[in-house]
Amino acid sequence: MMARLMTNRTSFLFAVMAALIIFVGFIQSWNVAFTIINLCLISAIMTLGVNIQWGYAGLVNFGLMGFTALGGIAGVLISMPPVPGAWEAGGMGILIGLLVGLGIIIAAVMVWKKTAHLGRVQHWALAAVLVIGFFSFRHIVDPAVAAIESFESAKTGYLGGFGLPIMLSWVIGGVLAAGVAWLIGKISLGLRSDYLAIATLGISEIIIYALKNEEWLSRGVKNVTGLPRPVPYEIDLQESPWLIELTNTWGLSLIDTSSIIVKICYALLFTAVLVGIYRLSEIALKSPWGRMMRAIRDNEVSAEAMGKDVKAKHLQVFIIGSAIVGAAGAMLTTLDGQFTPASYQPLRYTFLIWVMVIAGGSGNNAGSVIGGFLIWFFWIEAEPLGLWMIELLTSGLADDNALRLHLIESAAHTRFMMMGLVLILVLRFSPKGLIPEVKR
Amino acid sequence: MTDILNALVILANFIFVPAMAYGSQLALGALGITMVYSILRFSNFAHGELMSFGAMTTILVTWALQSSDISLGIFPTALLAIPVAILVTVVLAVAIDKSVYQYYRKIRAEPVTLLIVSIGVMFFLSGLVRFIIGPKDQVFTDGQRFIMKARAFKQMTGLNEGLAIKMTQGITVVTAFVLVAVVFWFLNKTRTGKSMRAYSDNEDLALLSGINPERVVLITWVITAALAAVAGTLYGLDKSYKPFTYLSLLLPIFSAAIVGGVGNPLGAIAGGFVIAFSELTITFAYKKVLTYLLPESMAPDTLMQLLSTDYKIALSFVILVIVLIFKPTGLFSGKTI
Amino acid sequence: MSFLLGANMTGGYGGADILHDCTIGVEKGEIAVVVGPNGAGKSTAMKAIFGMLNLRQGQVTIDGDDITNLKPEERVLKGMGFVPQTNNVFTSMSVEENLEMGAFIRRDDISQTMEQVFELFPILKEKRKQPAGELSGGQRQQVAVGRALMTQPKVLMLDEPTAGVSPIVMDELFDRIIEVARTGIAILMVEQNAKQALNIADKGYVLVQGENRYTDTGAALIANPDVRRAFLGG
Repeated sequence: MMARLMTNRTSFLFAVMAALIIFVGFIQSWNVAFTIINLCLISAIMTLGVNIQWGYAGLVNFGLMGFTALGGIAGVLISMPPVPGAWEAGGMGILIGLLVGLGIIIAAVMVWKKTAHLGRVQHWALAAVLVIGFFSFRHIVDPAVAAIESFESAKTGYLGGFGLPIMLSWVIGGVLAAGVAWLIGKISLGLRSDYLAIATLGISEIIIYALKNEEWLSRGVKNVTGLPRPVPYEIDLQESPWLIELTNTWGLSLIDTSSIIVKICYALLFTAVLVGIYRLSEIALKSPWGRMMRAIRDNEVSAEAMGKDVKAKHLQVFIIGSAIVGAAGAMLTTLDGQFTPASYQPLRYTFLIWVMVIAGGSGNNAGSVIGGFLIWFFWIEAEPLGLWMIELLTSGLADDNALRLHLIESAAHTRFMMMGLVLILVLRFSPKGLIPEVKR
Repeated sequence: MTDILNALVILANFIFVPAMAYGSQLALGALGITMVYSILRFSNFAHGELMSFGAMTTILVTWALQSSDISLGIFPTALLAIPVAILVTVVLAVAIDKSVYQYYRKIRAEPVTLLIVSIGVMFFLSGLVRFIIGPKDQVFTDGQRFIMKARAFKQMTGLNEGLAIKMTQGITVVTAFVLVAVVFWFLNKTRTGKSMRAYSDNEDLALLSGINPERVVLITWVITAALAAVAGTLYGLDKSYKPFTYLSLLLPIFSAAIVGGVGNPLGAIAGGFVIAFSELTITFAYKKVLTYLLPESMAPDTLMQLLSTDYKIALSFVILVIVLIFKPTGLFSGKTI
Repeated sequence: MSFLLGANMTGGYGGADILHDCTIGVEKGEIAVVVGPNGAGKSTAMKAIFGMLNLRQGQVTIDGDDITNLKPEERVLKGMGFVPQTNNVFTSMSVEENLEMGAFIRRDDISQTMEQVFELFPILKEKRKQPAGELSGGQRQQVAVGRALMTQPKVLMLDEPTAGVSPIVMDELFDRIIEVARTGIAILMVEQNAKQALNIADKGYVLVQGENRYTDTGAALIANPDVRRAFLGG
């Protein structure tokens, strides 16, 4: 009975969502509608990642922005052609530098372990290794970095990528995110939830700073544009006879239709990934593993007492969830066709995703997905909605009224207020979200 | 000898003076975070936006004062506006507490729930601020710009290097010092302040002693909001006001609070200065200093900079992470994490 | 009728009842001790009298006033002082501040009461500027008792005051408790160290599974062979 009601509710909400999109299609344009759909799909994948961490295991990951960006840089590194000149100029130096860096870290760990019996000396020894290591690392890497960054800096100025199909980055982005998540998890999973939240937020900022500043790797704020696509280009479509014929017969705009077709292609690819991850998440949720995760979430102490290695399980969940976010980040960069490190903001890439999960229903995958769809929809449509409301409210005022002008200019910011209200109201009046977790 | 003095002046000019000002701003912010943490027992992610709101109110009042030709002479007019901003921010903070946070105390919600609620408040406030004043840069500093100009210093001392102290830097440090002293006096010497410490130390025993928790919470918000309004204004005066920066400022502030030892007000202050000084010392280019100090033959030809200034804010997180790993109670022993 | 009386108390923490028709009382200037095996509901009885759990049946009276429906803070105003078993001092605050906080509800001059507490526990005067968290276990218990005395209560309730302190410190604490009783305060305490506690008790209650099993003077209970065998280790 309960399950039945839940399914009805889920179908109802998805029907509402579809209606909203169709509404936008007719009122605004189908181009806008499909742009929204694509980002809804990517958001939904991210929310599935967060749901695994928060909904299944109760882990607070405020580092989503960092994992998204890691997926993004994977897109660049996989798909862009290598820059041979830059490799010649400093590739070797970077590689040696990275090896030296790895060596320093290993040495530091060894020193830390070997000097454990020496008390205070342990700290000094570690500090000495790190300081000397840092300077020798910089000594090797700095000239190489300078050489790479000055190589045709207006066009490239970075090492480029591997020139492989960009869809490969959806996997590699996930792997990259997983690797970093492992490292972060090792450091911070022992901490209480607030500190995990702050630490992950901090680390995600560090990742963004690095991507903004390590130009040899990411071109930094010069951005990487024109990433290769997994789907056809509008220009090619516009020249293909079948489409010209089709649009002529139906009286459609060739340019609009071509761009809609491109978006549909993306939507199909993203849907396939979303469905795949959704299925896997559901299987995991219903498996003994998922049951154990929830047991740990609901009572960590007793789970630990029963001999579960809580920390190891948390690490697993943290890695899996972050990998999914990383994959979604790579998909986002693929869709954008460019990588712009400066565009990563925590409000948009971390906290908005959290609003989606909480509003949709933490612990419930369908809930997270619908949360991703609805919240993204309103995030985008808040601006026109806000503008419309303000115009309505101030319609009594003269057109050049200062207050009216100011409010109209500020309409875009209502989206932040709206998201805040959604989060506050959901937590207060419906803390389980739109589609609550099913108690098994 | 003069070489050494010149080197010291460079360090004072580019590290000590700015770090004192920045450290004071962080310390005031961290003190606010710590107050909420010790009494309400959650990490308040909306604190940066509360600072932003306070600064915005100061700016609006300043504009009103400026347009009616009221000024403070050599001091920025904003100083006159701060009391109003404090009042408005306090009203806002208390209103948010009554309408949002109070419910979660009643149901004895987990701290992590309150943390997520504070994200909602953060979103709302950041929207509200942008809605009222817009996302753009606002400069509202007026009055005399410098307490000490570099050229005047050079003439006075005859040294090659100048030392400049901005009016806003002086005001920041003095205000922060006075405010911190007042808060500490309140917490340690007054009956109400002591009852707040008692509540933070042991909630159940405080209840047994007849301390009214809602009153304690109310006073906490009053102090926190006042600190936030002042800290936000000082930061805006010193660096120019931009709504966006206050979210990024949240992280160094959290770092300061944790590095100092969460729930320890003294630690929060110390943490603020630790973060500020490490950010500036590590990203400073020491070339000129070393050129003065070393014999000519050993003069460096690179910038002698440990990390590029781009990493300045990232550095505070690095310090945070290191402290979290090696000494999770913070440098000045707060509560165990 | 006793000065403080919890009569026919039945109730628990929301689940199954822990107390079953349990009656405990104490007179002014007397020491009453509640003993019994682990899980007998001793601490629960104490909390019931202090209003920290809701009773389904029975009532609590002080000096004939029915206080069954009052909150703990309100009972403090009625003249009850309570020393919890654990976390009974403000560890980060000085001894003096602990005592001040104990007197928080008082609006009059508290310096005299503080002097009395210092007279009773001289070591506290010596350490009055030290944070309570830095004191030894026995000294902390003195702070805890002192804190409760600051409201000038008519009844002092102690939940296992000697838990975790050495036998010497325990004897000293008991001596002090007797002194407090001599000033006319009624003392009700729960004790794990049953034999020593009954030694100083005017009245003893042996609880088993939330019910009164034996009630008598302290001396009589110690003399009772059944009580000795079952509860005092022979």
